[in-house]
Amino acid sequence: MAVVLDKSHRWRVAAAHVGLICFIALTLAPFLMLLSISLRPGNFATGELIPTVISLDHWKLALGISYQGADGQLIEPDFPVLGWLWNSVKVAGLSALIALLLSTTCAYAFARMKFAFKPQLMTSLLLLQMFPSVLVLVGIYAIFDRIGTYVPGLGINSHGGLILAYTGGIALHIWTIKGYFETIPTEIEEAAKVDGASPFQAFRYVLLPMSLPILMVVFILAFINGINEYPIASILVQSQDQLTLAVGSKQFLYPQHYRWGDFAAAAILSGLPITVVFLMAQRWMISGLTAGGVKG
Amino acid sequence: MSDVVLRGIRKSFGEIETLHGIDLDIKDGEFVVFVGPSGCGKSTLLRTIAGLEDITSGDLHIGGERCNDVPPAKRGVAMVFQSYALYPHMTVAENMAFGLKLAGVSKDEMKQAVDRAAKILQIEHLLERKPKALSGGQRQRVAIGRAIVRKPNVFLFDEPLSNLDAALRVQMRIEITKLHRELKTTMIYVTHDQVEAMTLADRIVVLSAGNVEQVGAPLELYHHPRNLFVAGFIGSPKMNFIQGTLLSGSETLATVKLADGAQVQVQVDASRGKVGSAVTLGIRPEHFVVDAQGNKIAGQVIAAEHLGEATIYYVHVEGAQDHLVVRAHAEHDAKAGETLHVGAAPSDCYLFDDAGLAFQRVKNS
Repeated sequence: MAVVLDKSHRWRVAAAHVGLICFIALTLAPFLMLLSISLRPGNFATGELIPTVISLDHWKLALGISYQGADGQLIEPDFPVLGWLWNSVKVAGLSALIALLLSTTCAYAFARMKFAFKPQLMTSLLLLQMFPSVLVLVGIYAIFDRIGTYVPGLGINSHGGLILAYTGGIALHIWTIKGYFETIPTEIEEAAKVDGASPFQAFRYVLLPMSLPILMVVFILAFINGINEYPIASILVQSQDQLTLAVGSKQFLYPQHYRWGDFAAAAILSGLPITVVFLMAQRWMISGLTAGGVKG
Repeated sequence: MSDVVLRGIRKSFGEIETLHGIDLDIKDGEFVVFVGPSGCGKSTLLRTIAGLEDITSGDLHIGGERCNDVPPAKRGVAMVFQSYALYPHMTVAENMAFGLKLAGVSKDEMKQAVDRAAKILQIEHLLERKPKALSGGQRQRVAIGRAIVRKPNVFLFDEPLSNLDAALRVQMRIEITKLHRELKTTMIYVTHDQVEAMTLADRIVVLSAGNVEQVGAPLELYHHPRNLFVAGFIGSPKMNFIQGTLLSGSETLATVKLADGAQVQVQVDASRGKVGSAVTLGIRPEHFVVDAQGNKIAGQVIAAEHLGEATIYYVHVEGAQDHLVVRAHAEHDAKAGETLHVGAAPSDCYLFDDAGLAFQRVKNS
C-alpha cells in the first residue's frame, strides 16, 4: 500500500469513523435499552440505561425459575417462556428446512429446465407473494380451519399447520436460489451427465454442493422469518402451551399492566436461536466454492 | 470402441436451423476433427453426438446402436470441455472417479482406474488437490483423465486446448496424439484452429454454416480442396484469391487472364470450364516464387514482415481480394512501396469456377 494520499485524507478517515461509530451506537441503542430493562427491578419502560440495582427477577421468570417477590411471597412463573422458545425453534427450524427443500428444487426447475410460460410463472410467483400476509389472514384462518377437520395435525392450533403456512412463503427464496444457480456454469452439470449422472444426480452431487452458501443464506432468512413472524402465528395457534415466543411474549403486555421487564427478557431470549443458527451456518457461507471448475 | 454414423442430422433451435442435414461415417478407432469458423455448428454437432442436445431429425448410430433417444450417460461417450468443467468441490481423484462412482464400481477398481489415468497424464502428484489449486494445463489434463477413466467407446473433445497458452497447446497436442495411439479409441475433436486439425486428424471434416463442406485426410484437403471455402480455410497464412477470366481450358491446362492483363497458366482439368467465364485463381503464400519466370504477377509491397525463417510480404494486386500474402526467403528484402514480381508454378496453382467449385488439379501428391 504505497498509494499517495491527499493531505486531508486522515481527517476524512477520522470523520468517517466518527460517523460510523454514531451509526453503530444508534443501531445498538434499542438492544441495550432492552437488556437494561430486563435487568432493572420493576416493569418500567423508561429509566437509566445502566441500572443502579440489578435484578434477575425477570430472567428467572423467563427461564421458569420461581423467585421471592418484594412482599416475601414466592412468585411462580405464570407463562411457559422456555416452552414458547422451543415452539419457535421447532416451527422455524422445520419450516425453514421444508422451505429450503421446496425452493431449491423449484429454483432448479426454473434455472435449468425448459417449459412453457416460465417467465410468466416466475413473475406471478413474486406478484402473489407481494401482498402482505396480514391482508389474507381471514382466508388463511378459514383454510386451516377446513384442513383441520380432515387432518387435525395440520389444522388450527397445531404446529403442523403453522409450519405449512410458513412454508408457503418461498417465492423470494426461489428467486434468490435461481439467481445463484444461474451463475454456476452449465458445463459442469453437462460434464456430470456425460459422466453418467441422471438429472437428479447431477443436481444432488454437483449443483447442490456448489450452492451451499446460498442455501445457508436462504435457510437463515427462512428461520429468522419463522422466529419473528407474528400475525399468522397469532391466529393459527391459540392454546397457551402451543404459542411461539413472538406471540407468547405479547401476553406480558395487557392493557392494565405492561410487564416491560418480563417482556424484555423474553424478547432477548428469542434472539438467541437466530444467533446460534447464524454462527453455525457461517462456516458454510464462504465464497469461491465454484472457483477452478471452469476457465474464468 | 465404436464407429459413429450420422445420417441427415438436423438441429433447430426454435425457428433457426443450425445443422442442415449432416451425413458422416466415422470409423472405429479413427481420429476425426471437426473444423470451421465460429458459429458453423461444429460444437452443436459434437453436443448432439454427446447427447447434450437432442436431434431434430436424422439418425445417430454409435457402435451400431441408434442413439437419438439414449441419454448421454448411456452412449458410452466421454467428453472434454473447452472450459474444463471440473467439479470444483471435489479433489482431482474424486473428479476422475465420479463417473465410476455413479456406475457403482468398487473402491479398489476405482482407485486402479484413476491411478492408471493419472500415470498416463502425469498428474499423480495432483490427485489430492482441488481444481482451484491447479494451473490451466493441469486442469485440462484432469479433464482428459476424467474422460479416460471411464474407458469410453468414443472420446469427444470440444476445443480442449483453446484456453491454453501457445507453448502448452503444442505440448498437449502431441500428448493427445500419443493418447490416441495408446488407446486406439474413436476420437472426435472440435476446433477452430486449422493447425490443430491438420496435425491431429486422420480425417478432417470442414464445416461451414451447418453444412459439411468437405471430408478428407489433412493433406487431401490441402492439395485438393473441393471449393473456395475449404481452400481458404485450410492452410496458414490463407490462400490468395485473384479474380480472372478463363481464356482456354483443356484436360491438363487452363489459361487465365487476370484483371491487369497478365496471363497465368494453371495445371487443372478445365475441360468443363466455359471460355470467357469468371474464375478465381488460388495461390498459397508458400507457393509464390519471387522474381519468377513464367506465371508472373506484379504488385506493390504494402508491408513486409521479417519472421526470421521467412519474410511475409503483403502485396497490392489488381483484382485480388484484399491483398496478396507472399511468403519469401528470409534474406529477401523489398521495402514497402517497391514493385514486386511474383509467380507460381502452374502445378502449384488452384482454380475455381464462378460457383466457387474447384477444377480438379492435375498434379498429385
